[in-house]
Amino acid sequence: MDTNSDAVGRRTFLAQAGAGMAVLLTGGIGVSGCASARSISHIQGGMAGANHQSGHRLRAISELVRLPVSEKLTTNVLIAGGGISGLSARRWLQRQGISDTLLAEMDGQTGGNAAYGQNSVSAYPYGAHYLPIPDLRNQELLDFLTESRIITGSDAQGLPIYDDYFLCHDPEERLFINGFWQEGLVPEAGVPESDRDQIRRFFQLIDRFKTARGSDNLDAFTIPLDRSSTDETFRQLDRVSFASYLDTAGFTSPYLRWYLTYCCRDDYGATLETTSAWAGIHYFASRKGQAANANASSVLTWPQGNGFLADQLRAGAASPIRRNLLVYEVRLNDTGVTVVAFDATTNRNVVIDANKVILATPHFITKHIVQKIAPERSAWTGFRYAPWVVANLTLNGLPQGRGMPLCWDNVLYGASSVGYITANHQDLRDGPRKVITYYKPLTDTEPDAARRQAYGTTYEQWLTQIMDELETAHPGLTPYVSEADIWVWGHGMMAPSPGFVWGNERRQAAQPIANRVFFAHSDLSGVSIFEEAFYQGIRAAREVAEAV
Amino acid sequence: MVSEDERVAVRPGLTPLHWLLLVSVFIIATCGLIYELVAGTLASYLLGDSVTQFSTIIGAYLFSMGIGSWLSKYLDGNLIKWFIRIEILVGLVGGCSAPLLFVLFEYVASFRLILYTLVGLTGILVGLEIPLLMRILENQLTFKDLVSRVFTFDYIGALLASLIFPLILIPQLGLIRTSLFFGLLNIGVAAFLLYRFSETRSFRHSFSFILLASVGLLTTGFVYADRIMTYAEGLAFQDTVIYSKSTAYQRIVLTRNNRELRLYLNGNLQFSSADEYRYHEALVHPAMQARPFASNILVLGGGDGLAVRELLKYPSVQRVTLVDLDPGMTKLFQQNFTLVQLNNRSLLSPNVRVINNDAFTWIRQDTTRYDVVIVDFPDPSNYSIGKLYSTTFYTELEKRLAPDGLAVVQSTSPYIARKSFWCIKNTLAAVGFQTIPYHTYVPSFGEWGYVLALRNQHWRVGGPLPKGLRYVTPSTIRDMLYFPPDMAEVPTEVNKLNNQVLVQSFEEEWAPYGH
Repeated sequence: MDTNSDAVGRRTFLAQAGAGMAVLLTGGIGVSGCASARSISHIQGGMAGANHQSGHRLRAISELVRLPVSEKLTTNVLIAGGGISGLSARRWLQRQGISDTLLAEMDGQTGGNAAYGQNSVSAYPYGAHYLPIPDLRNQELLDFLTESRIITGSDAQGLPIYDDYFLCHDPEERLFINGFWQEGLVPEAGVPESDRDQIRRFFQLIDRFKTARGSDNLDAFTIPLDRSSTDETFRQLDRVSFASYLDTAGFTSPYLRWYLTYCCRDDYGATLETTSAWAGIHYFASRKGQAANANASSVLTWPQGNGFLADQLRAGAASPIRRNLLVYEVRLNDTGVTVVAFDATTNRNVVIDANKVILATPHFITKHIVQKIAPERSAWTGFRYAPWVVANLTLNGLPQGRGMPLCWDNVLYGASSVGYITANHQDLRDGPRKVITYYKPLTDTEPDAARRQAYGTTYEQWLTQIMDELETAHPGLTPYVSEADIWVWGHGMMAPSPGFVWGNERRQAAQPIANRVFFAHSDLSGVSIFEEAFYQGIRAAREVAEAV
Repeated sequence: MVSEDERVAVRPGLTPLHWLLLVSVFIIATCGLIYELVAGTLASYLLGDSVTQFSTIIGAYLFSMGIGSWLSKYLDGNLIKWFIRIEILVGLVGGCSAPLLFVLFEYVASFRLILYTLVGLTGILVGLEIPLLMRILENQLTFKDLVSRVFTFDYIGALLASLIFPLILIPQLGLIRTSLFFGLLNIGVAAFLLYRFSETRSFRHSFSFILLASVGLLTTGFVYADRIMTYAEGLAFQDTVIYSKSTAYQRIVLTRNNRELRLYLNGNLQFSSADEYRYHEALVHPAMQARPFASNILVLGGGDGLAVRELLKYPSVQRVTLVDLDPGMTKLFQQNFTLVQLNNRSLLSPNVRVINNDAFTWIRQDTTRYDVVIVDFPDPSNYSIGKLYSTTFYTELEKRLAPDGLAVVQSTSPYIARKSFWCIKNTLAAVGFQTIPYHTYVPSFGEWGYVLALRNQHWRVGGPLPKGLRYVTPSTIRDMLYFPPDMAEVPTEVNKLNNQVLVQSFEEEWAPYGH
């Protein structure tokens, strides 16, 4: 609502005026110099984060194996990892009639990168928070959305009708640039004509890629990306970085390159230099969704972000889920697989006998789990993960400058973050209290160094950095912040580095071992999005079903 | 000790110093009357009914002056010191009276008490001034000269005050600055006495500090006065602002002139008391007359209780549920004397339930079905309000209607915002409503539009109307259905949560009018 700018009401004003008079009467003694340092001491909250403590226990498996075994379990299919791919595999198995599965999740809640929190103002995401309208050919995903009543029906042309409450409401996006909030994220306000030309040319190029097909008659770019054309014309783009592709194509505009960098950071936690050109183009050219009441650029979103989808996926099967259970070793036995897991609640080991195992874990975890049966995986170098910081700020109001009012997605041109979303944007209730979710991929240094630095940064340091940045677009914001939860993702997401998507490691990583150990994770796509995780879970579940 | 005769003999007449003292009589007399006028004007601005307000304020003020004069005999010792003290107090109390009353008007319940306390206090202090001054001057003049000179200056001052107040001060300075400015004059008199009379040497130092602080306070007030009245208003109101408050949701401003009271929300006019009956009769009666047995009514928005006032004219109406976001708004229209008169105590009726909640959230949770729903939201001037004009909202609205129920939606101006008006009509039609658009002329708004939304075709003109309507008759309703060519239907998009086309067209269409 437009009260943002009015947030300083008469009462506040009078209080200030009163303070001003007091200053005047006391001769202004000792008040100069205090104004510049903002106090953050009134802000409640602390650090949260995916259970990196228990995750890091994998580095010392030798210690874990010494713990006594408290429990022995048997199951048909064990699924390690309760993120989107694990939940998707579990749901798919259930639909194929395979319901004797057990899902082990190392964390206290399922959902993985779709984790979320809640306070009195709103639910809010800790990670992934939207799903673009899917392509009509992605039948598995459309079925899931229909089953979850996110799609409520179809129109006369057969186009799906999405629930209006879940389609991202207008106004969707704004960018703070040159001291002004413009509508949309592609820079426009104050951008010179020559730069606008390049931006236009870039989007014309993307339009061609959207409709392009390879010699195999498959789309050049599609989701899931495994269904994209094998035509070398397009695949060769994976061997160069997005940066050098743009250089070659003459895209030099700093505004365009800022925008593309923002996109790579936002979707991949990577820069133009560390993203493959194929993946960089895929981000734009793969969105071909259609709907009766939305278009290809529409997205579905919820206050809790993709946690909503994770909960729906979990509800798609009834088999048991064990939380706080960290699978750290798989061994092949005579007929099946022996799985050893660490139960963080009892500090004991659990041994599970399974016929099949799906490792729905990211590669940096998987490589430890399969150390005994596939040691070569530890030597792979293509899997790179940027650390992320996600802060949820609860606000009593949001002072802001000129231009577009508060949107769902709010980005600051040239900032170190990728901006913030309004968690309660879909909430329809009108009120000054908001939760905003601020995202910052740490892409300035190499991932390992950035991770070490991230773990060494204190709550106050993060908060100061975040407020310094937000204050540039929202002067006077700090006093309005009542709560701040800061979540550090050590391995935020997999970045599709040059050569990875169509390289050997990705292909090999998805290969089952002895037809008993299967792999499912968005890492196996190289692109960390819901659709890929959903797809990889189904792919692995299909392989399991075929192997039974 | 000199004899009486000798004293007469040495009476020097007036020294230049004492002439100046008489000039200060003139100043304080002006100040005294100004405070009285400020209080009277403020009371009639804020409470209306200027004859009563002026009369009671003047009475209370003069009576308090009497108390002050009577109290003056208890002041002894250093009279100059007393006089300076009184001047500083008059300056502070009188000077701050207008800003203080404006600020405190928010606390409407006790406002009269505060008003008369301030008037009384100012009166007492002003009442002390002249007797004290006469006692200071008693040795300089014969009694007859003293009385003659002091009262001459007193009444000249009063004349001056009564002329400059309406002609110069109110138009140029406004109430708050006028009050603060005369406060400064009183302080000035105190300062003048302090530095010109040698008797003040012993306390000059300590009083200097107090004087400085008072000048600082009043000057700051004077500088900020402009901002107190206009800060965050974002626009200059034509009339005197008598109430303004920023609630968590909006800025409520009431203005008054001789003829009318106006309510603004976030700077947009909601009604003028002079012609709001046209707007509200046209909003309520075309729907109600078509459903003579309607008993359970829902009003969304409309926290002023004026639509409810119209509804309560139907004996069939047993229950009205009013949902308005802002408790600041509904409370104002339940408590403030003037506004309660305007809505005829509608929000205090036992048949009316007031709910302060967001309409969208509330309507999704509600399970009742209503015979008639009156949708009286502010215009779709921002995205938050635009949601309440979307297909999604109208789908929820449809679910809350009884099988034969109907709703009416205030739909901005079909003349100024033609696309926006027809967009609202088309959005209602898009979710399956039969729609009947109509419009009327409200002088303070211009041409204004409404859309009836029905679950079936069942609507006709000629149903029973309550007695005592000033505007709506069956003929008026028939006239309202006709749209001349300059307001005729235009094709528009449908307003949805994920496109909000209405907010965009509304902004475009109202922009030339500085909306």
